[in-house]
Amino acid sequence: MSLKLANIAKRFGAFTALHDINLRARPGEFLALLGPSGSGKTTLLRIIAGLEFPERGTVYYEGEDITQLSVAERRIGFVFQQYALFKHMTVAENVGFGLSVRPRRERPPRREIKARAQELLDLVQLGDLGRRLPAQLSGGQRQRVALARALAVDPKLLLLDEPFGALDAKVRKELRHWLREFHDRVGLTSIFVTHDQEEALEVADRVVVMSNGAIEQIGTPAEVYDNPVNAFVFDFVGESNCVPVVAADGRATFRGTPVAVDTAGLRGAGDLYFRPHAARIGSEGEAGLPATVALVRPREGRARVEAEIAGLADVIELDVAPDTAPAVGATVTIVPTRARLFPAREPDEAAA
Amino acid sequence: MDLPDISVDTGGGRRPRRSSFVQPSVIPGFGLTFGFTLAWLCLIVLLPLSALFLRATGMSWHDFLEVGFSTRALRAYQLSFGASLAAGAVNTVSGLIIAWVLVRYSFPGKRLIGALVDLPFALPTAVAGIALTALYAQNGWIGGLIAPLGVKIAFTRAGVVIALIFIGLPFVVRSVEPVLADVGADVEEAAATLGATPLQTFRRVILPAIGPALLTGFALAFARGVGEYGSVIFIAGNMPYRSEIAPLLIVTQLEQFDYAGATAIASVMLVAAFVVLLFVNLLQRWTRKRGVA
Repeated sequence: MSLKLANIAKRFGAFTALHDINLRARPGEFLALLGPSGSGKTTLLRIIAGLEFPERGTVYYEGEDITQLSVAERRIGFVFQQYALFKHMTVAENVGFGLSVRPRRERPPRREIKARAQELLDLVQLGDLGRRLPAQLSGGQRQRVALARALAVDPKLLLLDEPFGALDAKVRKELRHWLREFHDRVGLTSIFVTHDQEEALEVADRVVVMSNGAIEQIGTPAEVYDNPVNAFVFDFVGESNCVPVVAADGRATFRGTPVAVDTAGLRGAGDLYFRPHAARIGSEGEAGLPATVALVRPREGRARVEAEIAGLADVIELDVAPDTAPAVGATVTIVPTRARLFPAREPDEAAA
Repeated sequence: MDLPDISVDTGGGRRPRRSSFVQPSVIPGFGLTFGFTLAWLCLIVLLPLSALFLRATGMSWHDFLEVGFSTRALRAYQLSFGASLAAGAVNTVSGLIIAWVLVRYSFPGKRLIGALVDLPFALPTAVAGIALTALYAQNGWIGGLIAPLGVKIAFTRAGVVIALIFIGLPFVVRSVEPVLADVGADVEEAAATLGATPLQTFRRVILPAIGPALLTGFALAFARGVGEYGSVIFIAGNMPYRSEIAPLLIVTQLEQFDYAGATAIASVMLVAAFVVLLFVNLLQRWTRKRGVA
């Protein structure tokens, strides 16, 4: 199965939800559409499913143009954010629904539908719950029923809208692993939408980072985390610190203090980004960012230090070994060990 | 608002009540509210109704049958219940469509339409009757249009149905609306992604979910129709044996100071209406068991 989106654009009234999206999903791939709310990721997913239609552009499925096909004709599996189970049907009836609404000539006999529903329920490990009503299930179980129901029509492509959004933290984590393992076992191509970067990095083969209706970067989790192409991706994927610097002649300085970073030819005002684990506390007299320690918290084998730089609104966060954590109130020098420099964002853009 | 006490049954404390009349529940106040319910229903509903039956027992069984089941009365029952059923059925379909439009789409003037739906509730029924009669009479706007086709509505049984449709409409719309809103657009979309046609989605997903509410609306519209008097008498023509509704027959008896006759007819109507409503209630319970959990 292959999916290709070419120049997809969509507006809602005066609001441009998507501009010129180009994307290709490889067979068997697990793709994450990651972005803040309003970035157009759900709209894109709904366009692929046929629940929404693009203004411009083409959706290719197996090399065929399906842009004008209705949702029912596409036979693409879709798992809704709130699961959208049929409340008055049992779990087994829910799962069998897709087969039971087929045109009479293609519809399998009732017994076969039942068997197929049972098979799918076994697959999602809910084999004993077929006779329950959705209201009698937990959130995680409903999620898996929704998944089984979507799979009943044998889709080659499975779309999931915020699949873990409505679950509590522990179930979410379990289901994440389960879904990844499930995807590999069933051999589908899957695309899921999330605003949670941790989720995207953990589950997906490739992550599509979106903002304001455009794709910022497409890459493996390692690529988008370690080599973000711009400040937005750096900031949105993973934790980050941002310090305004001035770049000139291949050197970046913060209030006159040089900072070690590849300026990549940038001149003028820039933003220095680094992750909490990519900085250390400098020794006496070392050049770095002068800061005052505001808070020290334990954190899974590390200590999280929050430090304030005079005149900057955002605190700087960094992770240090617990035994080297400074005292609260101490004045320290922060030395970024691995930083990136991006052109300074416009103030209104940074606020968005 | 009082929050219910949350008491945890540790086994040692309060034992579940021995009587199997009511399931033990942590929500307090059952005794008080149930007592109030019974007392109120007795005072407001049962007492006047039993007075009615008491009155009717003043006459002999023979007289009762003679008045309560006279051919004229039977024809009147037939019209009252028949027209109410017909109007209820029409309202069930049209009310569902209106509720659908109000819930699923947003358009300018939506609030205005919402208010229009409720108007038959507020309008004095006589006003409705006069307006409808003016409209459907031979020389009225609609009556004049259809008269050349040989169709008469005002002063016939059809007129009765029209009046009952008018006054019964809000019941179905208002019963179905919240339930339909609860079904959610995503459920319909889910059915579509699974390959269901719009008709299949309606029949298999939406209708079972809103069925009980639809029945409630039908029952209310029907009940209102059976009891309706004001709007109908203007448009019905009130010809005995042909377009005379049972409530009118009762009033006619009263005007002739035949109280016993009026109560006899009223008693028959009451029992019949109760039986129909009970049946609808049972039907509702049945659909609920099969349908919405």
